[in-house]
Amino acid sequence: MTAKKKLAYYPGCSLHSTAKELDESFRASAAALDLELAEIPDWVCCGNTAAHATNRVLAAALPANELAKVVDMGLDAVAVPCAACFSRFKTSVHELEQEQMRADVARVIGRVYNGDVGVRNLVDVYYDEIGLDQLKARTVRPLTGVTAVAYYGCLLTRPPEVTLAEDPEYPTRMDDLLRAMGATVADWSYKTDCCGASLALCEQSIVAGLTKQILTNAADSGAEAVVCACPLCQANLDTRQDEIAAADPSFRKLPVFYLSQVVGLAVGVPTAQLGFRRHMVPVDGIVNRVLRS
Amino acid sequence: MTASAISSTLVEIVQAETGTNPAKCYQCKRCTAGCPVAGYADLHPAQIIRAVQLGDLETAAKSKFIWLCTGCETCTTRCPQGIDVAGVMDELRMIARREGLVPKDAPFADILQLNYESMARWGRLYEIELIARYKLKRPSAATDDLLLGAKMFLKGKLALTPTLGDRAQMKRMVREAEKVTAEREKGARLKAGES
Repeated sequence: MTAKKKLAYYPGCSLHSTAKELDESFRASAAALDLELAEIPDWVCCGNTAAHATNRVLAAALPANELAKVVDMGLDAVAVPCAACFSRFKTSVHELEQEQMRADVARVIGRVYNGDVGVRNLVDVYYDEIGLDQLKARTVRPLTGVTAVAYYGCLLTRPPEVTLAEDPEYPTRMDDLLRAMGATVADWSYKTDCCGASLALCEQSIVAGLTKQILTNAADSGAEAVVCACPLCQANLDTRQDEIAAADPSFRKLPVFYLSQVVGLAVGVPTAQLGFRRHMVPVDGIVNRVLRS
Repeated sequence: MTASAISSTLVEIVQAETGTNPAKCYQCKRCTAGCPVAGYADLHPAQIIRAVQLGDLETAAKSKFIWLCTGCETCTTRCPQGIDVAGVMDELRMIARREGLVPKDAPFADILQLNYESMARWGRLYEIELIARYKLKRPSAATDDLLLGAKMFLKGKLALTPTLGDRAQMKRMVREAEKVTAEREKGARLKAGES
């Protein structure tokens, strides 16, 4: 038997509030797949959009401060399931390649960080730490007969200099994971289009316009569900559907899952641990179908 | 600093901070074609880059566009000249703040500012406080999404109290980063003054 894998875990702010079900399902699915997660003690915000629009040094320093703590924990990689946090972490790693930034960051965080801790997003954790074969082997509730689209959004892959994503315009890793669990994956055009992100709090009509395009293309492509890996994507796609439907009766609502919820469902995690009751657009239809089959 | 002193160095400042050169833009507009919010704004990304090339800080900083940019990085990813277009928008936001050029009608500018303060104060983002402060600041938005907020609260998706991380370290980091940045800016200004 191989030793149990262990990753540091940085939940980020959203996973304690609007994306609670991502935290719940990520922990539960990891436990079911023998992946041990050790939360970084006393972690602070990654800086989000506010830091990189306000202070470049702080934006690079906040993730570096957390990565330095991962070194203290004796671990060599950290799971960052929030795509926005992941982007901040990878950008920090990228910026630390510059000597001046390294010096500035060291001054801000009060220590030198050498930048060799691996940073894994939600998709990469399952793809690289678990693997397609293992995920397939551990699937006890296959998603047979469920047609989904994989929605990557912006920050899992862009910009590729930072994320090192293989194909930033047409990623396929999440598609492969869904297929490994038995789902039918539809091909579509909005895999990496933006949902409006943090405009959600102040420019609701723009977010409704962008998410309507995304969801309409998903439905037109034959999908009955969207699977995503980012708290902003999930919140924006899930929360605006009532008002979109009210304005356009032809609009077809779609449930929006986190990848971790789908993995948890497939590998047999009790559904009560996967946060399904927190969704705005009900997911029960699909979940019950998978449970019955 | 006078407007002309800024304009003569706008390209250089943006280049120094983003590590890429906006002067290389030849207006192919791939950034604009892929931009999710260009259709909702007054100017589009390629026009902002042109304004930077011309040293027209006022046009760039006061545009609606830079306060609608979601940071989706499509422009940066697709630019054939390797310009970090989204990074230019960030830089313009910072310059606009510094020079007092943030337009009044830019709700996202308020969100970013309140967000920054929330994170710096609590160590982690405290969403309910952020939303409440935003609504106080912009009474016209007071009733937006109240029903949605209530639904989210009932589903356990909004925490009433903040969860705290290492607040002391966060405060130290914010203070030190602001100091480092102030020193940098002072250096840049002295250089601009000499030229």
